[in-house]
Amino acid sequence: MEEIKKAIVEFAESSKKTKFYFKDIEKAVQKKIPDAKAREIKKACTALINEGTLIYFSTGSSTMYGLKGRGITEDPS
Amino acid sequence: MAFEPKEPQKEIKYQELRIYSDEELNNYTEEELKQFKIKHDIPDVEELEKGPWPSFVADAKREALRRRKLADDRMLIDRDVVEDMLGQLQLSFDDGETHWKHGGIVGVFGYGGGVIGRYSDVPEKFPSITAFHTLRVNQPASKFYNTDFLRSLCDLWEYRGSGLLNMHGSTGDIILLGTTTEQLEPIFYELTHELQQDLGGSGSNLRTPSCCIGKARCEFACIDTQDLCYELTTYYQDELHRPAFPYKFKFKIDGCPNGCVASIARADMSFIGTWRDEIRIDQEAVKAYMAGEIEPNAGAHKGRDWGKFDIQKEVIDLCPAQCMELDNGELKINNQECVRCMHCINVMPRALKPGKDTGVTILCGAKAPILEGAQMSTMIVPFMKAEPPYDNIKEFIEKVWEWWMEEGKNRERLGELIQRFGLPKFLEVVGLPPAPQMVKIPRENPYIFWKEEDVPGGWDRDIKDYRARHKR
Ligand code: HEM
Ligand code: HEM
Ligand code: SF4
Ligand code: SF4
Repeated sequence: MEEIKKAIVEFAESSKKTKFYFKDIEKAVQKKIPDAKAREIKKACTALINEGTLIYFSTGSSTMYGLKGRGITEDPS
Repeated sequence: MAFEPKEPQKEIKYQELRIYSDEELNNYTEEELKQFKIKHDIPDVEELEKGPWPSFVADAKREALRRRKLADDRMLIDRDVVEDMLGQLQLSFDDGETHWKHGGIVGVFGYGGGVIGRYSDVPEKFPSITAFHTLRVNQPASKFYNTDFLRSLCDLWEYRGSGLLNMHGSTGDIILLGTTTEQLEPIFYELTHELQQDLGGSGSNLRTPSCCIGKARCEFACIDTQDLCYELTTYYQDELHRPAFPYKFKFKIDGCPNGCVASIARADMSFIGTWRDEIRIDQEAVKAYMAGEIEPNAGAHKGRDWGKFDIQKEVIDLCPAQCMELDNGELKINNQECVRCMHCINVMPRALKPGKDTGVTILCGAKAPILEGAQMSTMIVPFMKAEPPYDNIKEFIEKVWEWWMEEGKNRERLGELIQRFGLPKFLEVVGLPPAPQMVKIPRENPYIFWKEEDVPGGWDRDIKDYRARHKR
């Protein structure tokens, strides 16, 4: 779990983008930890959300994740 | 089995939760309403009041007037929000484009859905709606409320929001339209702690499941739609609130093929109650219908004189499966051929009833035309029992999700994924044999690809044996 969380944060910090689909995160984590399962990655994302490290970004129809304080603010534009 | 909430539910009493007095709730007269002008000129918006139907514009003006007259400390967001909302709508008519900015990071803590960020892109003109977020509230199964609940909800929303709401959005949720970012957490707290109602789904997650009225009032219900809806809602809380799907996913549940929530057209996974034994026939009642003693369709079409009820013309000849006949005054049904269209049962509900061995048909893949064209769900599971705790249904759901989460592209609905891979692949994923009922149109793809395990002997052959018979 801690290892997956670390991989998520590293990916979110190093990526050029500021918003990620869950699938982007999943792929990035599995590159580092090939046997990480989608369910575990989701749990790690939820934990990071609850810790306040990650935040959700929602358009209403789809949802993305972002690193708190990096690039995305409350303003949608 | 009777409906059993998982936690004891407290009784919601408006007298304990109310925020406004009767005087505050009735704080203007109809005369005042007639004289009332909002602070913006909205000629095109007012056109919408002129048709024969009730208009949200008329309702919004009432709300604007009430807010004008409430005391300052009786509303926690700007009193002008309704007037500014109407003003901005007029500006959109003038410009032919929307002035709402959509989306963002607003939400309540830990939830990835239920709040949809909305901002005005002309806040200098309409300052009160600079932030005007929408909340989706998970409606109770079949939308049963009592007035204590509704009044408490409306008071809460008047106090902490715009007072504008929509019963119900097309997903089924109660839609609370317009509040500021600061009010989101307090509203969420009161909704969950006082009103015992959760937020619904939005974004890339399981959307709020919804169902028809089912066994609560409808004798056609083949399954307990409310129980299944409640079970799926509570069991899949994580999927509802913490988005990790490629895109949205909807469950809708109809108690019978009449399809009152139109699950076949509106859900990624549609559950439709059905039966696998025989339509129950009460021959005496059939005779009573034929003799004109019982009104067909329970009197639903009696506004006009259709002449004497003719069972041959109105029922038997209209059976899409042509599987009914009258034999010496006895109605016979060849149930093998019946397609469960419900027509005969709808016309003669006192004579015909769905069978007793009931369950669900599960269909997958309906969607609106956003990325690809619109489509209806395709029948995947012809029949499955639907009884608590619904383990068989959950097992099916999870197989589908696993595949979609693995293979689905960002923003690809299940129906589009099935189209991309083909139905045979999907059937393989869920482990079901193809059935004729899945075929919508005659085959249009001329190719058949055999799998090695389907071919006797597989791909290997004895080349010497072959060459003994075929020269190079
Ligand atoms: C019992 C004998 C034969 C069978 C069962 C047979 C079967 C086929 C089949 C199934 C196709 C594909 C059709 C399509 O997918 O559109 C085909 C195409 C073709 N066959 Fe045969 N064939 C036979 C004999 C022959 C012979 C003797 C020749 C030439 C001397 C031949 C030349 C071709 C050609 C050129 C095509 C391609 C035609 C096109 O695509 O327009 N076939 N054949
Ligand atoms: C400039 C000359 C030619 C042109 C532009 C041409 C064009 C084509 C085209 C467009 C196809 C259809 C491909 C497909 O839909 O999959 C085709 C198929 C075919 N052509 Fe030609 N062709 C030419 C010369 C020839 C010659 C000289 C022969 C035989 C001696 C020939 C034999 C065939 C055969 C057997 C097929 C069927 C192949 C298959 O379906 O697998 N073609 N050709
Ligand atoms: S779908 Fe069937 S069971 Fe449900 S309310 Fe409609 S007629 Fe009744
Ligand atoms: S339900 Fe429809 S298909 Fe079945 S017997 Fe009645 S009319 Fe025919």
